[in-house]
Amino acid sequence: MNKMWIVIKREYAQVVKKKSFLIGIILTPLFMALITIVPMLLATKKSDTTENIAIIDLNRQGIGERFKQELAEYKLKDERPAYNVTDVFNIDPADSTEFAGRRKYLDSLINSGDLKSYIIVKDNIVESDSAILVAKSFAFRTINRFEYCMRNILAEKRLEKMAISVGIDSILNATRGIEFKQQAPGGKERDFLTMYLSSIIFIMIIFMTALGYGQTLMRSVIEEKNSRIIEVLVSSISPFQLMAGKVIGLGLASLTQVAIWFVMGLGLWSFRSSLAISSDVAGVIFNPVFLVFFIFYLILGYLLYSTLFALIGSIVNSDKEAQNFIFPITMSMLLPVMIAMYIVQEPDATLAVVLSLIPLFTPTMMVLRLNFTGVESFNLANPMVVQAIIGVILTFLATVGVIWVTGKIFRVGILMYGKRPTLPEIIKWVKH
Amino acid sequence: MMEEYLRLVDISKHYDGKVAVDKLSLSIPKGSIYGIIGPNGAGKTTTIRMIMDIIAPDSGMIQVKGQPVAPEFKNRVGYLPEERGLYKKMSLDEVITYLAEIKGRSKKQIGAQIDGWLEKMSLSSYKFKKVEELSKGMQQKLQFITTLIHEPEMIILDELFSGLDPINIELIKGILLDEKRRGTTILFSTHVMEQAEKLCDYICLINNGIKVLDGRMAEIKSKFGSNSIQVEIEGDGAFVKEIPGVIKLIDFNNYIELKLADNADSQIILKALSDRVKVRRFELIEPSLYDIFIEVAKADPRQMTTEVPHE
Repeated sequence: MNKMWIVIKREYAQVVKKKSFLIGIILTPLFMALITIVPMLLATKKSDTTENIAIIDLNRQGIGERFKQELAEYKLKDERPAYNVTDVFNIDPADSTEFAGRRKYLDSLINSGDLKSYIIVKDNIVESDSAILVAKSFAFRTINRFEYCMRNILAEKRLEKMAISVGIDSILNATRGIEFKQQAPGGKERDFLTMYLSSIIFIMIIFMTALGYGQTLMRSVIEEKNSRIIEVLVSSISPFQLMAGKVIGLGLASLTQVAIWFVMGLGLWSFRSSLAISSDVAGVIFNPVFLVFFIFYLILGYLLYSTLFALIGSIVNSDKEAQNFIFPITMSMLLPVMIAMYIVQEPDATLAVVLSLIPLFTPTMMVLRLNFTGVESFNLANPMVVQAIIGVILTFLATVGVIWVTGKIFRVGILMYGKRPTLPEIIKWVKH
Repeated sequence: MMEEYLRLVDISKHYDGKVAVDKLSLSIPKGSIYGIIGPNGAGKTTTIRMIMDIIAPDSGMIQVKGQPVAPEFKNRVGYLPEERGLYKKMSLDEVITYLAEIKGRSKKQIGAQIDGWLEKMSLSSYKFKKVEELSKGMQQKLQFITTLIHEPEMIILDELFSGLDPINIELIKGILLDEKRRGTTILFSTHVMEQAEKLCDYICLINNGIKVLDGRMAEIKSKFGSNSIQVEIEGDGAFVKEIPGVIKLIDFNNYIELKLADNADSQIILKALSDRVKVRRFELIEPSLYDIFIEVAKADPRQMTTEVPHE
């Protein structure tokens, strides 16, 4: 026990002392922010230049002009118009020469950058919803706005045709869209985007701990094996003490990292008003029930995966050889991310439940499901809570099993230099 | 018989049906220098790893001072395996302290000794340098420090001479003799007979996992008697093995070694030689360990070496 503590201290110090540890603490949150928040900001960011557009109206019923009026509603931050309709060309659809000439002219304006896009309103647009947008690149927001405006104009035209005398504005008002506010039982606000982003952050933390530190552990075993110091080590301590010391030492290093991030998060939280963090985010991140489960899954996930990495390290002779084994492990961790879109749509579906109870997938899957189900208390009547507890137990048992098997293989594997053992040999070591 | 430190009783180890060590029994007296000697693949490393509890014997028993081996035995042994390495990225100070700590020593105890040892090995100026900055010879010296600094009761060195440069061989011999004077029991294995012969109080010869001979060096030598002769002659020595009384001839190119029958008279042999060729040297010798090994093990002499391998 005492000797294992010495190994723990060395492994911990070796990681924490390195510059890369400090760099990781600072850069990782920045990186995470970069891949989660920046795209979101970009997507919602108002553009700061007015877009020049033109309209070719083959319908010649004033749709082009109406469209111009509607677009005038959209403003930039500084109250300048978002769109400037430079020209509306009313062209007879039979006059194909003029149409072709105009198109050619507008195309050249787009190519020279004087025009962002132009719209072709077909002559049968009222009956067939037929319109074309020509541009070099298409922004989601612009397409949404154009479609929204055009929909309203067409509705107007169709109602005019049917000669309904109710005011058009009141019809549009009566059929306006609605957005559901998402609330968990108990009334807490929940928002899909927040849940999704926070899930990504939690899963990334499990990832970095289990895969990142797991691989550090594996490389450390390979290094001790290659430098042959391992034989001196196991002449002083038992192989199991060595393995456990390494797993725990590196685990504590990674927990240190996560703890520092948590404190950094709390620091940010105290500035929430100035950083415009919504209370939804905090509700997800500082949900105590979720955090308890998260910590369990973080630790179990690390133990399970890092032990597997120790196992690989003990039977291979180089990083290169290890790559073949790392791939399936990485894939089993990645699976939940790959099917995350399916899970978040239905976190309680049978497939999601079954997959989340397979220990290799449990840590990431359960965190994802728990986050989306929004568990608020340890109420055993809630099947999610029961499943999460079963997940903890199963993962714990699997981890104990893997540690037991690895312990057997580790003590033989670390003394095998040069030659990689075959599977039957490994099975024999376990049985022995 | 001196007080016994370590005893192996009938230990055996098989790998995949092949015998590595077969019913080996040894008794290693306290404070002695004991050599396990045999060709490559004889089972020396396996035996030492079993003593260190790195691998478990299939059968048999190992005792220290009459008691079964307890886990804390590891703390009282200094072990240097054949394949030697250190943490390259750690400083000398850190490596020595760490390896001594897992031998149960406190930082304080080590701190008091570390400078003395570095001084002795002329490594003082490297105390806070990284191991990777040392030359190979310096790393060997560092490995000896890590093997000895926790003041072990017993030192176990596998293939002691392999990879050592000649200066370090002399250095380590001196240190081992110092340790012996302190009462430390020293066990080493080697396939280099000549070095072992100079250093050992006791030896055990093993071949194919089986002990062929063991005991006190001096007794073994006298038991095998001085019925060997080294001769340097000029001319064709083909007739020599026909001389009555000569039972074996080993040709070393520069000289030949003759084994005589128990009742043979060396003077008659000398006469028979000088009748036919010019004798430049004629010397009665004790049998070398090499000869003894060849004789008792009936081993293939090509597996053996009398020289320190140059690496």
